Amino acid sequence: MTQLKYLILVSRQGKIRLKKWYTAMTASEKAKIVKDLTPTILARKPKMCNIIEYSDHKVVYKRYASLFFIVGVTPDVDNELLTLEIIHRFVETMDTYFGNVCELDIIFNFSKAYDILNEMVMCDGSIAESSRKEVLHHVTVMDTMESNDNLERVLS
Amino acid sequence: MGSSLRSFIKDVRGAKTLADERAIITKQSAKIRTKLRDDHLPHEKRRVNIQKLLYLYILGEKTHFGQVECINLIASDDFVDKRLGYLAATLLLDESEDLLTLLTNMLNNDLHHPNKYAVSLALTSLGFLSSPELARDLYPDVENIIKNSKDPFLLKKALQCAAKLIFKDVSLLEIFNIEDITKILANHSVCTHGVLLGVAKILQSILSIGLNRGNDDGEDGVDYNSDVLSPLSLLLRDFFVRLENLNSKNIEPGYDVQGICDPFLQCEMIYTLKLYFQVGELLDSKHVLDYKNNFCDLLTRIATNTDSTKNSGQAILYETVKTIFSLNLNQPLRVLGVNILAKFLTGKENNTKYVSLNTLLNVVPQEPTAVQRHRKFISHCLQDSDVSIRMRALELSFAILDDSNLVDSVNELMKFLAKQDEDSKDLIVYSIDHLVDTFDFHTVKDEGWKLDIFLNVLKMVGSFINYEKINDILIIINNTTQLSDKSDFLRKLLTISLGEKSIEITDENIGWQLVLIWCIGEYGDLILNQNDESSTNIINESSVTNYLLNIKESYTTTNHKIFNYILTAALKLSIKVHDPKNIEQLRQLILGYSDSSDLLLQTKCNQYEIFFNQPVSVRKVILETMPKFEKINEKQNNIKKPSKSLISDESTNLISDLLGDDSKTEAKTLKSDNVQPIDLLEEIFGEKKAVNQSVKSGEEQEKSADLPLQSTKNSNVILPSDAVKIHDSTSLNVYASLLSANAGQAHIELYFQAKLPMSDLQTFCAVPKTQKLTLGQLHPSSTIEVNQICKQLLKISGSGKLKLRVKLNFHLNGSLSTTNEQFDHKFDKTL
Repeated sequence: MTQLKYLILVSRQGKIRLKKWYTAMTASEKAKIVKDLTPTILARKPKMCNIIEYSDHKVVYKRYASLFFIVGVTPDVDNELLTLEIIHRFVETMDTYFGNVCELDIIFNFSKAYDILNEMVMCDGSIAESSRKEVLHHVTVMDTMESNDNLERVLS
Repeated sequence: MGSSLRSFIKDVRGAKTLADERAIITKQSAKIRTKLRDDHLPHEKRRVNIQKLLYLYILGEKTHFGQVECINLIASDDFVDKRLGYLAATLLLDESEDLLTLLTNMLNNDLHHPNKYAVSLALTSLGFLSSPELARDLYPDVENIIKNSKDPFLLKKALQCAAKLIFKDVSLLEIFNIEDITKILANHSVCTHGVLLGVAKILQSILSIGLNRGNDDGEDGVDYNSDVLSPLSLLLRDFFVRLENLNSKNIEPGYDVQGICDPFLQCEMIYTLKLYFQVGELLDSKHVLDYKNNFCDLLTRIATNTDSTKNSGQAILYETVKTIFSLNLNQPLRVLGVNILAKFLTGKENNTKYVSLNTLLNVVPQEPTAVQRHRKFISHCLQDSDVSIRMRALELSFAILDDSNLVDSVNELMKFLAKQDEDSKDLIVYSIDHLVDTFDFHTVKDEGWKLDIFLNVLKMVGSFINYEKINDILIIINNTTQLSDKSDFLRKLLTISLGEKSIEITDENIGWQLVLIWCIGEYGDLILNQNDESSTNIINESSVTNYLLNIKESYTTTNHKIFNYILTAALKLSIKVHDPKNIEQLRQLILGYSDSSDLLLQTKCNQYEIFFNQPVSVRKVILETMPKFEKINEKQNNIKKPSKSLISDESTNLISDLLGDDSKTEAKTLKSDNVQPIDLLEEIFGEKKAVNQSVKSGEEQEKSADLPLQSTKNSNVILPSDAVKIHDSTSLNVYASLLSANAGQAHIELYFQAKLPMSDLQTFCAVPKTQKLTLGQLHPSSTIEVNQICKQLLKISGSGKLKLRVKLNFHLNGSLSTTNEQFDHKFDKTL
């Protein structure tokens, strides 16, 4: 079962590019997680395994170009190897959506990145859609509806 | 366009210094706050400001002032507003906030919206932000979609959302109708992978409730077993077929991951089935358990057919293995599981190695021999470049260590230790701790080999060993039965330290120095009396004396501990050397600090000086080699410790002996034995032992007359007197003894005493979620004769109350059927 606790995107310089919490936590707990994990993960060598233990749970991370995708998972429930696939699915989907996605795409279009993520992962961090095509289809339809709204407003 | 989101982001990124960045952010933040307060702001501007607010959120700034505004956006008729409003609400609000009640009406409206995307946004947001109140109020609307919608896009979201709502408010289980799910599964056109993920999710939610609830009846009057689980079990067959098809299916574009068809759905389905059988076992539901064989067959097929070369396939295999062991399925499957994990170890991928080692560690108590078969691969991981893999491999290596592979395993560990450096201090400390424990636990025939191992350990990593462990090592040396082994050990130490190659040992290697100093004091005579050795030119009375004098120079000011050892060693050595010059040097060494400003040191030196002035015959008796140290006694009973191997402790006893009236007579009676020091040692040691035993058994019988102590005399394991009976059944008694509990770690020993002959005893223990449990192996074996005892060590780390749930599987009287027993125990300790 997938039950992600959070997903954080951090740049190589340690800047946060996206974050999403799937469990209710206080602001200070969230801040502590970000503060603890960022340096730990940035310091890890490329060949090391992508799973670390942190506090009472595990963290699965993966680096794509200049970005680290960091996911907190529920111990004994989540399958760490599958979590890596989820991260990869998310990256692939963004890659198709933006066309060869790079860090800047996510910085300037963070709300699109969230839209894609929310189509894939719902509720308490469970995977809701495994098809890249499905996700992209619905996100683009909603994009068109937005621009139609704008068009109507201009015409009226 | 100075006011667009893009330019704001550019400004922040373009800031030269942190102060600049802060200034830009503060300014914008204030501006957004004012703008949002303006009721006449056009919608477009409103959106830009909310988007900027979201950027502030990502940067980790305060955003609470925009929360209400998001809710206003949701209320808008324009889709573009709604979409952003929902996105902002799900990010800026969380489930604990009171503001959520404001959302109720809007969510309610949107769940009935003619535009399916508006509905989907509402479902997604409700899934993220479901307080118990929202769950209660809006569940009927979500259920309505599940019942009536024919759109897979909405169905999958409604199912996911309903799963969360039911979990939030368990009483919804009463309303939930399983037929809705059956209907969906029967309709081919809506059964997309997304919808199946939703179905799996809602089943997981309902089954988890069953698992948490156990046999207790809920307040709602729902009988989980008959009202929920039985109807739910009707779906099992359907699930088996779907999972099987999915697993054997070849490439399906859109769902393919590295040649595996939708690993996400496959894993979710396996997990769901696992929950089915967990609940089924817990509630003993025939409806579910009847399918167990089918499930085992299916898992076997998945385990054999799934491609294990890619991560996606490995994820499925890993899920399968986890299922096999958490349900403790039949033995062939368990062996298959262990073999899959072992195969993971042979690959290059570090992640699979990591999960494999981690899982194997939990599996050892269930399948010790199957895991041991792969010792070669595990040892191989000790050489991995990734420290977390090395750590796991190390834990596992110790977990599978037993009498049969002791020598090989320890040799592997030595190879491992030789390669460690400063960075992996944790690993070194862990290894030494466990190595010492290992030698306590297992008896090694070749004690010379054992001492050689410690010689190497000291040589390689002596500087990392803490004093407590050095004491343990000294005890092991002390308890070695063959004097020749001891003298060989000392000779090797001395040859290295005094020989030409002394560069090997640095002053930082305190472990080495302490052990050497102590050994010189204890066994100096053994080695100095052997004149026939070719090494006499290196090891002789004056070189050993000089060693003590020199080593003193390096440590006196920095390390008191080592200096105390030096003093005692000097005192003891003084009766073992014959050259008056050396004796005088040793005396000077002690005298040198009799006016030290350090009071403890001064006292000690003066005390030792008194010794020094005693006649040789008296000194010889007092400074006799240490008797065998009974470590177990100290742990079990708080009776007087038989000399704690630390000489500093002993000195006080010696003084009281010396000043006491009977010291003279004792010296006289023992004097005649001095000619044969070995006999004396044995005599002392023999006596001690006898005394200890009599005291112990007396105490034990007094303390706990109900423990059948006599019966334990045949088994190797003895029940300690402080063990508490925690379980009593017709086939066995279980006792627990809390060895230690502090600083987030507890050690507990369980003792299983059989009332009927049993074999293949397996124990499964569970601790609260905040704690981590490491199970040791059953000692001496999993087969127990009547009244014999076998013990198992539990290490618990973490926090919270110490609680155990123990499940036992065993075969009685050699029968083939497995007997199960389960019980809980609470310790009155908290970590």
